[in-house]
This record gives sequence, structure tokens and C-alpha cells, in this order.
Amino acid sequence: MKIVILDGTEQENCYEKILKDMFADDNQFSYFKLKDMSIQPCRSCGACGIKSPGKCIINDEIHPIMKAFAKGEIIVFMTPVRFGGYSSQLKKAIDRFMPLGMPLYMVKGGHLLHPMRYGSKHIIGIGIIEENIPNQEDNFKELVSKNALNMSSTYEVLLLNPQDSVEKAVNELKVLLKEQNRI
Amino acid sequence: MKNKNMVILNGSPRKKGTSYSFSLTIKKLVEERGSKAEIVHIIDYYDGNKDLKDLGSLISACDIVGLVCPYYVDTLPSPVIWLFEKIRSEFAETIKGKGFFAVSQNGFPDISLFKAILGTCRCFSESVGMNWLGGLAYGGGAIINGKLMEDLGKKGAKITSGFKAAVNDILEGKCISHEAQELLTVKVPKIAYRPFAAILNHMSRSTAKKMGAKDIYRKVYLED
Ligand SMILES: Cc1cc2nc3c(=O)[nH]c(=O)nc-3n(C[C@H](O)[C@H](O)[C@H](O)COP(=O)(O)O)c2cc1C
Repeated sequence: MKIVILDGTEQENCYEKILKDMFADDNQFSYFKLKDMSIQPCRSCGACGIKSPGKCIINDEIHPIMKAFAKGEIIVFMTPVRFGGYSSQLKKAIDRFMPLGMPLYMVKGGHLLHPMRYGSKHIIGIGIIEENIPNQEDNFKELVSKNALNMSSTYEVLLLNPQDSVEKAVNELKVLLKEQNRI
Repeated sequence: MKNKNMVILNGSPRKKGTSYSFSLTIKKLVEERGSKAEIVHIIDYYDGNKDLKDLGSLISACDIVGLVCPYYVDTLPSPVIWLFEKIRSEFAETIKGKGFFAVSQNGFPDISLFKAILGTCRCFSESVGMNWLGGLAYGGGAIINGKLMEDLGKKGAKITSGFKAAVNDILEGKCISHEAQELLTVKVPKIAYRPFAAILNHMSRSTAKKMGAKDIYRKVYLED
């Protein structure tokens, strides 16, 4: 299984090591620590639709991520739960995913969508809770589910509470990935 | 009612896009009521072309902050989240108790998709202690493509009436009413989606042909 992890966390945390250890012997595993990567925001220039079909014209470090995504089967979005959504670090990469959709339209489940250039994926949204805001967890789940719909993909959500023990987090991650036969 | 000062944040990297034309309409409506509004582009601060401290001072001195922004992959564009993070870490003390509202618009005429993006705006507001005045969604902003409401005939008048209802609520410190959202909602029956998709596909293919694009299905990132 080809696994791509987009890590949108800013602070040191145990989850990076846990995930890297879990896949240490797996050569089909790519890990991107986004805060250390130079990725510009999408400028909405529209070039990736027709002028340069499927390719973003900004020359920066998004391209290795796009290559990994194209081949990937499981895409992990790891982020602090930031205002019930993603951190700006994670979102700077996701905003650049426009070329992954085609400049065409289809109707699925009562929604107008762009067909995906590289097919369906399995998205795992891992949210690390950092503060206490009412309904932020439900909002996070809603966002991951809408991303999955947008990308014609299946999905799961795991919310991690830093107050919980590391063992609990490791177990939850293992259960999630084992359930999918992914480790 | 006391006159108010509003700062409108354009969350799009496009300075003349639909978020901006919506911002202009809101600014005019606020000024018609004797209050003041100023529009700023978040991208200028993200790119470092303007000093974030100046935006901090502007926000600290106003009564209400409004965000008008496009819907990017189901939530806020990254520079908007970046600004929210900065406000929380650098200006949280000075913006407590001020009003905050959000307007978002996207490509497709379907407002059932906006729960997460407007939910994030509400969470931000609660996290920094602002007074959440509510959110509005407009499905189909891409078709407007930055045109002014004044140039959109009946459609523009309807959108303006929705914003007018919202501005009245906001300036009175009330939560945006359902009536405002009703006026903004474009009702396209789901049955029309397939023919609509077929028209859009035809347009895309003929534009591609005109522009000499060889293969719009190309899988560039699998090529080497
Ligand atoms: C990076 C990016 C992601 C987008 N994601 C979506 C989306 O998920 N759903 C949608 O309906 N429209 C999406 N859009 C379309 C914009 O929301 C729409 O074109 C909007 O009207 C742009 O506003 P502006 O003119 O203020 O920039 C996206 C556009 C961009 C550039």
C-alpha cells in the first residue's frame, strides 16, 4: 500500500515519530513535513486547467507531493485541529491540489464534482486537539468528509487528545491502519 | 444607532475577483447607513507587501470585522487560516468583543457544502473571543467572476438585497437572519445538474481546443 503523509503540525510532537517508526521498513511510504517545505499559496491563476493541463505552473516544493499523491493509495492529512479545520501549513499544500482534478464536471451523489485525474484514494484525517472550542470535532469530521466527496475518495477520521497517553494514540493509529490491512 | 467602523478582509488572492466585488457591495451598503468600511486584501499581508502590524492596528480600532472569501477545497484558503493564526497569537487581546461575520462563495450552486467553512469561522471567532454574527454562503460565485453587482441585472439586485438584510442585522449587532441567506440562495434543482455538467464540459473541451491544449486528461505526475 502506498501511503502519503502530509504533516501540517508546527510544534514538536510524538506522532511524527510514531508514524515514521510504524512504516520504517516500508519503501512505499512518503512523509512530508510541510512546515519545512517552501510551498506558495495557490494564486488561482487557472493555468492547471487548460493552459498547462494537470500541472501547477508555480515552481516550488509542491511537485514531489503531487507525484506521491498521484501514485498514493492512502493519503493522511495530519494537523492540529485549528478552528475546527486544518492548519495553514496543511492547507497550503491542499490548496495546490487543483491539478489533481480535471477541468471537467460530473454528477455524483447529487453533487457536481470534478473527476479525479489519479482516481479514488483513501483519506485519513488525523486531528490533534489543541484547544477547547464547542463543536470543533464535528466540524473537523465534516471537513474531512467533504474533502473525500470532493476527491471521490473514501475516508476516516481520528481525533487525538494530547492528554491521552502515547500508547493509546499508537493503538488507535494501529487499529485504524490494520483495519485497512495497511500495516 | 451609533455609527460603526468595519474592516472587510478579502480572502481571495484575486484582488478583482468575486470576493472583492461582494466586498465592494457590502462596503457601499455599510456607508449608505452612515457607517464606515475599509477593504483590505489578506494576500498583501501574507506576501509581506504590507505590514501585519498595520492590519493589527486597523482591526484593533474597528467595531466589526467581516471576512469575504472563496471556498477552496471545502474550507478557507491557506492565507486566511494563516491570518486567523496570526490574529490569535498576536492580536487576540485587542479584538475581544468585536463583531465578526463571514461570507463565502464557491464554484458550484450548492450551499449544503458550506457547513465546515463557516463552522471554522465561528470556531475562530469563539477562540479569540469575538462576537460571532453569523455566516453567509453563495453557491456559484465563479460564474460571477468578479463582475460588479450593478452590472448583473436582476441577479445582482437579488444578491445586493441579501447583503442589505445582512448589513442591517450586523450594524445593529444582531446575528445575520435566515432571510439574508434565503435571498442569496440560488435554487438550482438537482435534476438540472447533469445537463449543466454537459454544457460545462462542452465549454471546457472547446476552450481547450481553441487554446491548443493537447491532452486535458494528461497524468503529468505519473510521467517520470
Ligand atoms: C485552489 C482552489 C480551490 C477551489 N475549491 C473549490 C471547491 O472545492 N468547490 C467549489 O465549488 N469551488 C472551488 N473553487 C472555486 C472558487 O471557490 C470560485 O472560483 C470562487 O468564485 C473564486 O472567488 P474569487 O473570484 O473571489 O477568487 C476553488 C478555487 C481554487 C482556486
